[in-house]
Amino acid sequence: MLAFLLNRLFHALLVVFVVSVLAFILGDVVGDPVASILGLDATPADRLALRTRLHLDEPAVLRYLYYVQNLLHGDLGVSYAAQRPVSALLAERIPATVELAAVALTLSLAIGVPLGVYAAVKRRQMLANALMTLSVLGVSLPTFVVGILLIFCFSLRLGWLPSFGRGEVVTIGFWTTGFLTASGLKSLIMPALSLAIGQIALVARLSRAEMLNVLKSDYIRFARARGLKNRAVYFSHALRNTLIPIITVSGIQLGYLVAFAVVVEQVFQWPGMGLLFLQALGQTDLPVISAFLMVAALFFVGINLVVDLLYAVADPRLRIKTLSARS
Amino acid sequence: MIRTKWLTALCATVCMATAISGMTPGVAATLRYGGTTPPLTMDPHVTNDFVTTALVRQIHDTIVDLQDDMQIGPGIATAWTYQGNNTWRFKIREGVKFQDGTPLSVDDIIFSIMRQKGSPLYTALFGGIKEAVKVDDTSVDVISNGPDPILPRKMVRLFVMSQAWAKANNVEKLPDLGAQGTEAYSLRHANGTGPMQLVSQDPGRKTVFARNANYWGPFPGNVTEAIYTPIGSSPTRVAALLSGELDLITDLPIQDIERVKSTPGFHIEQVPQQLSMFLEMDGTRDVALDVFDKSGKPLQANPLKDVRVRKALSLAIDSKLIVQRVMRGQAVPLSVGGAYGMDGFQKDLDTGRPYDVEQAKKLLAEAGYPDGFAIQLNCPLERYTNADEICRAVASMLARVGVEVRVKGMVWPEFARMLVNGPSSSFHLIGGSGNSGDLQDTFVSIMATRDKAKGRGGTNWAMWTNPEFDAVVDELVTTFDPAKRTELYRKGLTIARDQVQGIYLFQPVLSWGMKDSVSASARADAAVMLQKVQIKP
Repeated sequence: MLAFLLNRLFHALLVVFVVSVLAFILGDVVGDPVASILGLDATPADRLALRTRLHLDEPAVLRYLYYVQNLLHGDLGVSYAAQRPVSALLAERIPATVELAAVALTLSLAIGVPLGVYAAVKRRQMLANALMTLSVLGVSLPTFVVGILLIFCFSLRLGWLPSFGRGEVVTIGFWTTGFLTASGLKSLIMPALSLAIGQIALVARLSRAEMLNVLKSDYIRFARARGLKNRAVYFSHALRNTLIPIITVSGIQLGYLVAFAVVVEQVFQWPGMGLLFLQALGQTDLPVISAFLMVAALFFVGINLVVDLLYAVADPRLRIKTLSARS
Repeated sequence: MIRTKWLTALCATVCMATAISGMTPGVAATLRYGGTTPPLTMDPHVTNDFVTTALVRQIHDTIVDLQDDMQIGPGIATAWTYQGNNTWRFKIREGVKFQDGTPLSVDDIIFSIMRQKGSPLYTALFGGIKEAVKVDDTSVDVISNGPDPILPRKMVRLFVMSQAWAKANNVEKLPDLGAQGTEAYSLRHANGTGPMQLVSQDPGRKTVFARNANYWGPFPGNVTEAIYTPIGSSPTRVAALLSGELDLITDLPIQDIERVKSTPGFHIEQVPQQLSMFLEMDGTRDVALDVFDKSGKPLQANPLKDVRVRKALSLAIDSKLIVQRVMRGQAVPLSVGGAYGMDGFQKDLDTGRPYDVEQAKKLLAEAGYPDGFAIQLNCPLERYTNADEICRAVASMLARVGVEVRVKGMVWPEFARMLVNGPSSSFHLIGGSGNSGDLQDTFVSIMATRDKAKGRGGTNWAMWTNPEFDAVVDELVTTFDPAKRTELYRKGLTIARDQVQGIYLFQPVLSWGMKDSVSASARADAAVMLQKVQIKP
């Protein structure tokens, strides 16, 4: 187990290193921070002064080393545009994105898994097939279209839900939450739904396929031969084994949901990391751009690590293997 | 319209839309308004972002007031006279108090001038100021390095800040742009003399203002509280207005104007923005960048340096058609430098550019390009309304005279880098706005020959150059007599027009959408002047 963990950690570090290099290069590609900060009207002398102060005139390798040195000291730098420490900006934005992604993931599992199981068990029924056809629509609808459609229905026509923002939030320590106020919950519905719709469909299709696979396997036949009830066969035997790939995919999807909630955040003006990242790209705000990419990478890596460990919990075979390998 | 109908139909089937209108009556005297981007800071001296400046203007007064028609008027200074010897004397209004209750003194004025002058963002505007000297308790002398006839005009961008407050909060010095360190207090706090005071600034979420009870000036409106929310996505912003969540939005997209107008209970306000969209053409290089012959080989020449080619391109581009089709009528055609509403702009010289394809072809042939040539047009995306479509329209118009245009779209940071680190573009679309709102600024920075030492032509990105024009600028910047200045403005504009300094297209129109219960008039600088907004219950 320890070797397994160390191995994973090494991989994680490698990924983080590669991303930090990529983030650094990307910053050079998107524009010139000095041009973005000072605009078009500044004098060449002022530009040069700022370039020197930001160390932008030094070789790329040296700048990268400064950057890593600061990172190791926990210093993500100061945003050029917001003129505030990036860590403070991210700390403000992370709760919004995490809550949005968590709700979307919960929705996708809570709706997707039962749908998939139902479609697998009753695969010859009309309704099940109709649901699967509908799920193709869910997968293929772009998130921003769903978002705008929802706004049109529930904000513009019905006036039930707010079209933008996060509503009132409650601050608990370093975290701000929208779960505790009515306006916060109302604001969460549409963004979470638009983010989840594609995922619901994906999870449903995946669960159906896996479930069908599992139902064909020998131990299910034996279980039936033992005279177990359908209910027990489906839920305690089949579903359990179906869950393993779903856990993997959901884990990776959570990473995606956090890192790429960008579109939904833009449509609903959701004050999360994605919106911050988009603004930073427009302003060549290098410290924010690279910090966002680093945080996103850490998220992915962390989640993958957790998923690997969860595997062991869900699949006893893996647990036994590692245990026997150790002994 | 088709899109809207489709959405309506879909919505009706999906959610069985009931006829409940989303409108909720706004709480009296609270204005909830929205625009595209968040304010970057509340410190007026370290930003020149126009959204931020428009918001900061509600809290901080400027030394000279910028009125709704973009003309100057008494503000914190009640009068100003030129004393000779590069010195302007400003008479400071008495009885003005900051929002924290402390009285405004001449020292605060001097402090504000010197603080803002030190900002690298304002070197072009205030770099010429040498010092500000106290004359007595109500007047201050501002001394420039050379004579500056438009200094009072420039003062519409000089924001007044309290020295004692700045000292107490450790922001006496300008916060470093992009430097390491902690957050400056002035980023989210402010203390000005303006009609509104800052209640809270939650960056990226909302900015809350409250009426300043101590305001020295008239407050004709009834707004006691105003909440600004940035909403980047335009469909969402429009939906937020039409669902009644916001009372007013700035930056109403062109395609939604009709929709807002035709919705009962809403109306729009419009004004031409102080921005001129035009094409710049290389006037200096002997071999232009990204110019090819028809077979695709780089051309060892700069056709754009030949005034006949410049005239030909101008004749081939129909700006009226661009305004009609691309801008859907939401722009005013423009044929000379500057923009309506600028001091010194000569409206009668703006007679429209002639459109004549045959004449254009003839001129090209005369210049030695009977078959035309190929050229790259650099095009900034997203920054200006429909920029991409404008560039493509230009390309198809020039194709008719044999000039093959390859449009290269670039996001703004990339485009800005190309200009300021070069400039490395021989042909591009750009928007020009006068820094202070006087045509002199346009002459000095956009049209004069690039000259670092003289501080001229800083934003003359295609390096047009004309000695006759430069002579006009030299004279203009030291001339105080209004009649003489008008003559120089006319002379300069005429030279620039005849030599085709640029191909001017149009001035975009700003549109705001608002509820019928709100009355606010749109301003060319995009500022919602909160003290003038009226809200009916």
